[in-house]
Amino acid sequence: MLCLAGYEISKSYIDSDQSIHVLTDANLELNEGEMVAITGQSGCGKSTLLHILGLLDKPDKGRILIGGREVHAGMAEAAMIRNQELGFVFQFHYLVEDLTAKENVALPAIIAGVSIGKAQKQASELLERLGLSQRLNRYPNQLSGGEQQRVSLARALINKPKIVLADEPTGNLDPDHSEEVWQMIINLNKQFGQAFVIVTHDHESARLASSTYNLAKGYLSLCP
Amino acid sequence: MNNLERFYLGRYLQAPKRNLLRFSFVFMILGIVLSVGILSAGLNLFQGYESSLREVLLGSFPHIAIQDADSDYISMEDAEKLISTLKSNDKVEMVTPTVTYSVMAANDTRVRGVSLNAYYFDAHNPFPYAKYVKEGSSQLADGEIIVGKYLAKELGKKCGDTLKIVYPQLDKISAMGLFPSERLYKIAGIYSSGFYESDRSQIICTINDAVSLLNITPSYAKLELRLKPGAIDDATHIAEQLQQQLGLSYLLYPWTTFSAGLLRLVTMEKWLIFIIFSFLVLISGINVISAVTTIIFDKRNEIAVLRTLGSSNASIKRLLALQVGLTGIAAIISGQLFGALLSFLVEKQSWYHLKGDVYFIDSLQATISPLNQMVVFLVSALLISGCIWYPLKQIDKMQIIELLRNS
Ligand SMILES: Nc1ncnc2c1ncn2[C@@H]1O[C@H](COP(=O)(O)OP(=O)(O)O)[C@@H](O)[C@H]1O
Ligand SMILES: [Mg+2]
Repeated sequence: MLCLAGYEISKSYIDSDQSIHVLTDANLELNEGEMVAITGQSGCGKSTLLHILGLLDKPDKGRILIGGREVHAGMAEAAMIRNQELGFVFQFHYLVEDLTAKENVALPAIIAGVSIGKAQKQASELLERLGLSQRLNRYPNQLSGGEQQRVSLARALINKPKIVLADEPTGNLDPDHSEEVWQMIINLNKQFGQAFVIVTHDHESARLASSTYNLAKGYLSLCP
Repeated sequence: MNNLERFYLGRYLQAPKRNLLRFSFVFMILGIVLSVGILSAGLNLFQGYESSLREVLLGSFPHIAIQDADSDYISMEDAEKLISTLKSNDKVEMVTPTVTYSVMAANDTRVRGVSLNAYYFDAHNPFPYAKYVKEGSSQLADGEIIVGKYLAKELGKKCGDTLKIVYPQLDKISAMGLFPSERLYKIAGIYSSGFYESDRSQIICTINDAVSLLNITPSYAKLELRLKPGAIDDATHIAEQLQQQLGLSYLLYPWTTFSAGLLRLVTMEKWLIFIIFSFLVLISGINVISAVTTIIFDKRNEIAVLRTLGSSNASIKRLLALQVGLTGIAAIISGQLFGALLSFLVEKQSWYHLKGDVYFIDSLQATISPLNQMVVFLVSALLISGCIWYPLKQIDKMQIIELLRNS
């Protein structure tokens, strides 16, 4: 059962009179509970693709389907879809500095309209499950890099989205912490059946995914 | 207000310093407090001036003065009839017959032209300006006078002293020149209405003394009417009605003839000052614009994250507006308190006094009127909200993708 699909997605930037084709007719399919990795060299357009799939950026051309419904970044419900059906993890944790770990995790639920108290309770439970019960009331700058990424993973998961889009989630971590976060992603994928699209240039880790795409020179291809 | 806005507001109220209260905020708050303080103090003082002037004009002058149209005097019999007619009018509180004349007051070295006003001092005809006698007695017996504060000072006299009043009888010029009538009176009280001109040129005596000093057959120069409090503003109209009732042999002068224009001018000046000082608040609004712009810049990543997580621009704008707005309201109210303090200090200070000959009254008084404070609050709040909303429009133009890429 497809939960996310992108067809014939193209995107180019005009850079000093020259147009750079970052994506050319990219096709990608993600089934429920599946884990897909996207690899490619730095600057080849992986983040661009993820932003387009996450309705954060507009493609020049192409169709995106989430849960079988055609969607695009400009539509009124885009914010709601980002809140309810998608979870985001970025290379930088992007936690709000002035909010505690628990409050950061609670944000998407609060935005969804869950009461503040209930959202914080859900956030605490989720953080406890991710082994961060001792860190609930810490501010991001009081957490290690691995902990920060785990908190942002929790934030991506709080509204129980079917799809999590992760852009080099371990890109800024040392190998130990990197391993810790990967383990967590794999566990979550197994336990709760969340589908992941993970951008990584770590080919070792990519092997853990059920399928791997490679992006090169604007072309996205499924690795055998 | 949605949950996110409520959440941020709660966070801000719990720990304003951590969440928003930064350096630029301090200047924003300071600017608002100062400008609103000055606006509010200016209005308090002008309101005080307006009220004091009005109070003294209405308190120390007749609301309607009645004179005979053909003669300088109203005979006792005519006055009797007039008074009973006037007293039957339910708008009239008090009718006081009086004799007025310009005479001279002299000490050993100086002579000053003064206005002599004579009244009765009995239960039937009480002296209407007794409350302005701040020193000595407000009940005169024959041979006693009440002297204006500045006049007494100028002539070096105080309560209990005697003062010579001179009436130059122009109709009694003899071969030896002017043959003035002069008497010595005991100063029984000092008159201080706050109306500068009265306080420096008025002497009050009994009707008996005036009649004998001026050497006239007992009669009155005019009748002074005091209206009931609710009817004072209606003086012009009441005077017209009375005129019809009394006929054309009397002239009626409502207070509005002399003073309404002045009071209107002062009121207009008050609002003019208000408008000018409102610009100070607008200038402090520039700090607000820059503070909000700084906040948006400082929090651009947070804004991008909130957008990514599904929050709307409108909601983000509202939550920032709410936090800054609440701070602004606190600053405006502090400014109003500061203004009250400022006007209190101006009122109590002793190194600057109003020049009585320019401003009519000589004491600066502040009046904190709830209505004025409401106007100050609303106008300031309106100006400051505009200065909050305007820069928030930048949020609509923010590119979240660029922000997520460039951190
Ligand atoms: N706003 C833009 N204008 C011009 N070029 C851009 C813009 N955004 C991204 N690019 C270019 O698009 C390419 C793909 O970027 P990105 O998707 O971030 O790559 P990756 O995530 O694979 O490192 C890069 O060469 C980058 O310079
Ligand atoms: Mg990237």
